[in-house]
Order: sequence, then structure tokens, then C-alpha cells
Amino acid sequence: GKVPASNILASAPSDKNLDTWRESGCRTTHCNLEVLQDTTLVFLATKPHILPGVLQEIRPAVGPHHIVVSMAAGVSLQTLQRLLPAGTKVLRMMPNLPCVVQAGAIVFARGSAAGDGEAALLKNLLSSCGLCEEVPESYINIHTGLSGSGVAYVYLFAEALAEGAVKMGMPVGLASRIAAQTLLGAAKMMLETGEHPAKLRGDVCTPGGTTIHALHQLEKGALRATVMNAVEAATNRACDVAKD
Amino acid sequence: SAGILAAHKITASSPDTDLPTVSGLRKMGVNFTVSNKDTVKSSDVLFLAVKPPIIPFILEEVGPDIEPRHIVVSCAAGVTISSIEKKLSTFCPTPKVIRCMTNTPVIVREGATVYATGTHADVEDGKLLEQLMASVGFCTEVEEDLIDAVTGLSGSGPAYAFTALDALADGGVKMGLPRRLAVRLGAQALLGAAKMLLESEQHPGQLKDNVCSPGGATIHALHFLESGGFRSLLINAVEASCIRTRELQHVADQEKISPAAIKKTLLDKVKMESPSLSSKVSLFTNKS
Repeated sequence: GKVPASNILASAPSDKNLDTWRESGCRTTHCNLEVLQDTTLVFLATKPHILPGVLQEIRPAVGPHHIVVSMAAGVSLQTLQRLLPAGTKVLRMMPNLPCVVQAGAIVFARGSAAGDGEAALLKNLLSSCGLCEEVPESYINIHTGLSGSGVAYVYLFAEALAEGAVKMGMPVGLASRIAAQTLLGAAKMMLETGEHPAKLRGDVCTPGGTTIHALHQLEKGALRATVMNAVEAATNRACDVAKD
Repeated sequence: SAGILAAHKITASSPDTDLPTVSGLRKMGVNFTVSNKDTVKSSDVLFLAVKPPIIPFILEEVGPDIEPRHIVVSCAAGVTISSIEKKLSTFCPTPKVIRCMTNTPVIVREGATVYATGTHADVEDGKLLEQLMASVGFCTEVEEDLIDAVTGLSGSGPAYAFTALDALADGGVKMGLPRRLAVRLGAQALLGAAKMLLESEQHPGQLKDNVCSPGGATIHALHFLESGGFRSLLINAVEASCIRTRELQHVADQEKISPAAIKKTLLDKVKMESPSLSSKVSLFTNKS
């Protein structure tokens, strides 16, 4: 709710993607150049392989007052700056899926011409979608491995939790909701207390109790190493894709 | 060696005077005798430092001389307070018994000791033992039912550490360090880490994070440890040691054969197996 809908102009080649924008009261168009003429802060939200073409198209209309923010995976600031007029204020961001419920995790990095003002503006806007932090560009692929893809790891874990409960006799619908709430609650405690997760974990473990027995099973399955492997694999893949 | 009790106030007793520990104790100025009965008479606090199967015999032998003032401290693994109290109650109605579990680093005054007090042992009796054992490391009171877990953790713990240190040294040697230096550095690393943890309010997980710079050497190494299930191995080890302790205690409780019948066989067997600790009753006085 930081920007009135009437101040937002969305452009897409077909109406297919524009309906949602219209429903929230935003203006829409099929002309990318119109967006450049009409706005200052421009978000590029195309698929990575489409982006070079779009950049070529809008390049003539890009001026020193514009702030261009790309969220295309794997397209570096260097590439963006190369395809736009010299001195254009460019930033690059990487969101994750839960932005749609205002619980996202977003990182962004600034290009050489983007200053503190632009960074502050972007951070302010994006914070309405969740956690937003400025990072060096090299962290963006790590963010993908950790949080972009990470959301899927959590879904997998939640599904497995629920399945365990189903095995023990609980209906799957209820088990799923409780699993999700458990993850939500644990995450909320981490964020709000700022305590180390190892300490929070220890707080839950009464001596000889249920939790420590269960944790032993997780350790036997080398869960930690597997999760580290996952983050590493996704990060490496993001790097490889970027090179293509 | 911690200096809280003068050597001449300590009496040690062993039937076998040729043991290396005997000469060691004598050199320290400890009184020595071959008579358990004599030591009981001249002492207030009695440490029973024999192997668990010998405990019943020792108790039968010194039982008649136990008086209300005596505090009987047993460090025998798996021997319960109630079993000692039961044996002594035929001689003395309210025997004071304390059971303790310590570990080998008491030798360098960095031991980990826990104790549980028996039915007739007072708070002061426990505190006296705590004061004695605190001079050689950490000492605290626990409920008796936790002693098996303590065995699994800090009783056996030094062995886990020695194994880890041997392997760490191998790693160092593999990467080019001379063996002696590798051992020295490995031991110092563990010593330093343990000291940091004991002196810090922070969780070990936090201390670990503090060592791991992003993308650095340590986090790469830790990933290997996690992949190998390092944590679960340690949990398994503590669990196995604790469970085995309970099993042995259960076997000891069976006690189906009469003590006298197996006494000689056991004594000979024990003497052959471990010359340093067999058939010895060490007794400490607290006359000040």
C-alpha cells in the first residue's frame, strides 16, 4: 500500500498477464515505451532470454532520471548496463515466491550509477513485500540457492512432516495445516527473538524427551549436510545459468 | 596434588604392595597399609576404588568396622547406592553412602565428577565430597538415575576425544605436519575450544558460526563433518555407552553366585588384568 494503484503502469504484450493489474486498479498498456515515458522507476520483469530484446527496444527512451530495476535471474548488472545508455541508474533484485503474501525475502544490488537515494527508495518500496536487504551482487545467486529455491525445500519438509503425522494416524488436511503453522511459528520465533537457532532448538529439548529422540533421527539421516548440499547445488546452478 | 588435603592425612590400602600406584602414593607421603580394617578405623571418608565385582567382598570385609561417622564413597561403575546400603545395613543401621562417577582427567585436575547421596548421607557429607572432588575438576550433585548418562558422556568422553585427536593429527600429518606438532596443535585446539565454551555465555552453535567465515576453509570442512553424520555418531556413542552401563549394572544386580565362592577367582583375574587398579582400597581421612 505504499504506492497508489493509479500511479502504477504495467506493460505486457498480451492481456493475459494484465488482468490482475487492472483488477487492483493499475493502468495497463501493451507499449513498453509508454512505460518509460510515463514513469521514473521501471521494473523489468521479463524472462531472462526476453530481456535483451526488451532492453534494445526501450533504450532510446531511457534517460538520466530513470531508475531501472531488473529481476531477471542470471542477467548481471554488467550486462544490463551494457545494453542501456551509459550512466543509467540500474539495480538488480532477486525476490522469492512468498512476496505474494508479503512475507518474501528480497535482495538487491546496485549498479555503478545507482546511489544511496535509489537504494533507499527501492528498499523502502520492497520492504512492503517482506524482508529486503541490499547485498553485493555476488550474493544474489546464493540468495537463489537459499531462499529463491529454498521455498521449495520448505514445502518438501512440510510435506514430509505431514506424512509422518498421517503415518501416525492424523488426517492429511489437518496434518498439513499444523505442519505449515509449525514452520511459520518457528520462523517467527527466530526472527522476533534474534536468538541462534541452535539455542532455540536446545530450548525445546527436554532431557530424554520426544524432541531429542526425533532430532537424533534427523542427525542420523545427515539432514544438515543434505540441506547444505541443496543450497550449494542451487547456487552453483544459478551461476552456471548466468554464464549461458 | 590440589593441596586441599595433606598427604599424611590420607591412608591407602592394598593387599598387593608391588603395584606401581602403591609406590607412587608412598612417594607423595600417603600412609600405606595392607589392612583394609586398619584404614577404616583411622579414617572418616572411605573411597572404594576397586573394580565393581570386588565391591561386595570389600563391604563384607570392612562392614563390621563401619561406624555412623563413616562416609562410604563408591566410584564403582554400575554399583547402586541401594546395593551398597543393603550390604552395609547388616552391620550398621544407617550407613552413609555416596556414589560418584568421575573420569580420567582428574589426573590433571580437569576431571568431571558427579555424585549422588544415599539415604543416610547428609547435605554436609555431600558438600564434603564435592569440596574434595572439586579440587580435581568440576564436581556437582545429580540424581542417581542420571549417573549412567554421565558415564556415557563424560565418563567415556575422554576416549572420544582421544580418538578425535588421533584422527585430527592424522589429518595434519596428511597435509604435511610432523606428527608431534600435529598432536600438540590438535590437543591445544580442543583444549582452547572447550575453554572458550566453558567461559562463554554463548551456545556452541554460535561459537561455531564465529569461526566460519563465509565461503571459507572452516565451513567447507564442517560440511564434510555433517556429510559423515558426525553429530549423530557422537549422539550414538553417548547413547551406547550409557546403555551398556545399564546392562552391566543389571548383570551385577543379578549376583546369583555367592561372593565367597567366586572371590578367589575374581581377585586373581583382576590382578592379572589391571595391575594399576586391582584390589585396592584407598582411604582418605578428613581429620583436620
